[in-house]
Amino acid sequence: MERPISKKIKITVFTIFSTGFRCKQRKNDIMASNIGHITQVIGSTFDVEFSEDSLPAIYNAVTVKSEKNGVVLNLTGEVQQHLGSGRVRCVALGSTDGLIRGLECVDTGAPVTVPVGPETVGRVFNLLGEPIDNRGPVKAKMRDPIHRDAPALADLSTKTEIFETGIKVIDLLTPFVRGGKAGLFGGAGLGKTVIIQELIARIASAHGGYSVFAGVGERTREGNDLWLELQEAEIGQTGKHVIDQTCMVFGQMNEPPGARLRVALTALTMAEYFRDQSGMDVLLFVDNIFRFSQAGSEVSALLGRMPSAVGYQPTLASEMGALQERITSTDKGAITSVQAVYVPADDPTDPAPATAFGQLDAFVYLERAISEKGIYPAVDPLASSSRVLDPQYVGEEHYACARRVQSTLQRYRELQDIIAILGVDELAEADKLIVHRARRMERFLSQPFLVAEAFTGKKGEITPLKETIRSFNEIADGKWDHLPESAFMYVGGIEQAEEQAKRMEAAAK
Amino acid sequence: MAKTKTLNKRRNSIRSIRKITRTMELISTACYRRAMDRAVSAMAYTDRLTKMVRNLASSGAEVSHPLLIPHEETKNVSLLVLTSNRGLCGGYNGSILRTAYHRWNQLIGKDGEGTQKVEDPSLIISGKRGISYFRFRKITASETYTQFEDKPAWDEVEPIANKYLELYLTGKLDRLEIVYTKFFSMSKQAVVHETLLPLTEIGSGEESAEEKHQATADYDFLPDATSILSEVVPASFKTKLFKCFLDAAVSEQIARMVAMKAATENADSMIQVLTMAVNRSRQSQITGELTELIGGVEALK
Repeated sequence: MERPISKKIKITVFTIFSTGFRCKQRKNDIMASNIGHITQVIGSTFDVEFSEDSLPAIYNAVTVKSEKNGVVLNLTGEVQQHLGSGRVRCVALGSTDGLIRGLECVDTGAPVTVPVGPETVGRVFNLLGEPIDNRGPVKAKMRDPIHRDAPALADLSTKTEIFETGIKVIDLLTPFVRGGKAGLFGGAGLGKTVIIQELIARIASAHGGYSVFAGVGERTREGNDLWLELQEAEIGQTGKHVIDQTCMVFGQMNEPPGARLRVALTALTMAEYFRDQSGMDVLLFVDNIFRFSQAGSEVSALLGRMPSAVGYQPTLASEMGALQERITSTDKGAITSVQAVYVPADDPTDPAPATAFGQLDAFVYLERAISEKGIYPAVDPLASSSRVLDPQYVGEEHYACARRVQSTLQRYRELQDIIAILGVDELAEADKLIVHRARRMERFLSQPFLVAEAFTGKKGEITPLKETIRSFNEIADGKWDHLPESAFMYVGGIEQAEEQAKRMEAAAK
Repeated sequence: MAKTKTLNKRRNSIRSIRKITRTMELISTACYRRAMDRAVSAMAYTDRLTKMVRNLASSGAEVSHPLLIPHEETKNVSLLVLTSNRGLCGGYNGSILRTAYHRWNQLIGKDGEGTQKVEDPSLIISGKRGISYFRFRKITASETYTQFEDKPAWDEVEPIANKYLELYLTGKLDRLEIVYTKFFSMSKQAVVHETLLPLTEIGSGEESAEEKHQATADYDFLPDATSILSEVVPASFKTKLFKCFLDAAVSEQIARMVAMKAATENADSMIQVLTMAVNRSRQSQITGELTELIGGVEALK
């Protein structure tokens, strides 16, 4: 992908005003076309030989163009290693089909740059910043490199504010932070993507600012569905559609590992621009950050790195850190990010989710045992946590209520083996009451989703935090002990549980 | 992996529980035999005595006894609840206490329908389980007994029976009700709620043709009807009460036997599942480590 000269100059001009990192790139830019030749192709990596005195810098993009026997090749790669004697090893950011030794390879002199700015909203991109929605070229005035330094410590925002989602279990037990990062951890098929889409429906449709969605290594179909959905969904009463405020970047399952490895950075770069230039609060959704680690592990061995624990790349933590540290809020604006994290084999001690875990403010863990009970969202109320679940941030009342719910459910879980063996009759009176309420709480943590309306036939419920706290306190107080357990399934506030109980009673008669 | 360790720990704790339930099952099997023999032998005597009183009562209008006559006003009602001292007997106590709690609410007028509010209800509980149940609900019992185990003795029941007899005769007690688990057969026990005093139902219970025939038989009272009745009627009450305790004891053992058998089976299947999970996680741990080693060696080549 060779850019016209005029565009190149444009990049040079604006990079002068930006960070030091970008200035460094300028030197390479000015040099005349730096051409090398491919010496080796190994899967989705390839080696290129340049002249010794004009090696492309690490992370520089290199492009290969050829047409042979009707096979058109237009590949961008990214320099990863300097191997010595002028050779560099690159990760291909696209398919390496048709790549042969001896092909000419041009150093673009800069990392991959992607269009940023208001022109990008409403569009769908691949990781190279090329529009893939068949709506013509994007006339963005600016392009930013996808590799940048994380904001300096001094620039970071220190505000801590709760971000209400209207989902009971999340608001109560794992409150999200405005300008913070939240992770949805879960094994296959537990509803991570559904929760992400629900959050987009809830937050983005009530949110004035821009949203960026990164589809990393998940199903292409899901990306397509989401795109169509966002075109229909409206933002509040403004008559605008969510898509008009959103830009989407996809590098899904069908893409080679290099693409999946970099697509999150592309989306992040777009989000960063909104944060830094427009000063708006930006939402960044990533589904699924595990695929980023996975793609890294796929190319790691090809790059000749020795595998580390469970076969992951030895650079797992630094790769994750480099990405996550950039998703942060500064004095200028905030990026609130929600990331889905796949947990392989339901084992949260797996290095990939474990590495992501440390980066997040709110940690939502989806549990198979809960989804098996038919309770969705299948959030494990005991394994999930949030940095801000602290009286200092959420207030005494919220904190006390959350702890109360957790201790009740904790006790219930401890008793579960006993109940399974001896039956509930053997419990002490106080424990019986705890079990009674815990079972109701557990069910009350379920909630009908806006995005699932078509499937469940139940209207999505947005429950204000205040009502959530009051409802759970009342259950814990025993005010609703008389309602049957099933009345607590898929309702919003506690009054709806009461109504549902009445409906059920009427239906039974 | 931390998972193997936690699974193992859990499996061990379930094994310990299983040990307990298995032992309890064996103990209750032994106890139940003895308790059942006592209950069955008492059953014949009680039945005969009850029948006799019934026949006597219906044989002539001139025969009467204060224990057979209900008081005009029902003010003081005592509810006697027979539960066990020990747990691990499944739903035994639970179902007794549910019935008892319901009845108690009726007596104090808290239950919406079927209220039979009386002025001065009192609660008598036998067994630690029942005591703690009502204590938890902040209901104070006027009297509690904990001395009855799997072999209730006549000497222990008689003083209690005497006390209620006296209370009834002096008018301090208008009705004595009992909630306990009645033993019908090895395979059938049920929670029942009966009225022990006054002994009215003795006179009005359903009668078989044979009994009717007997009832019409002429009795010769020696020395006289009153003295005989004053002996037989209280004895009938006492044996009846004693029988309740015996029934409760045998039902408890049967309930325990059944519950513990089920519990042991549950524990067995749980251990099986957990063993499978432990082995699987152990194996995958080994596989993981092996692949890492091999991978490392390959990479170093």
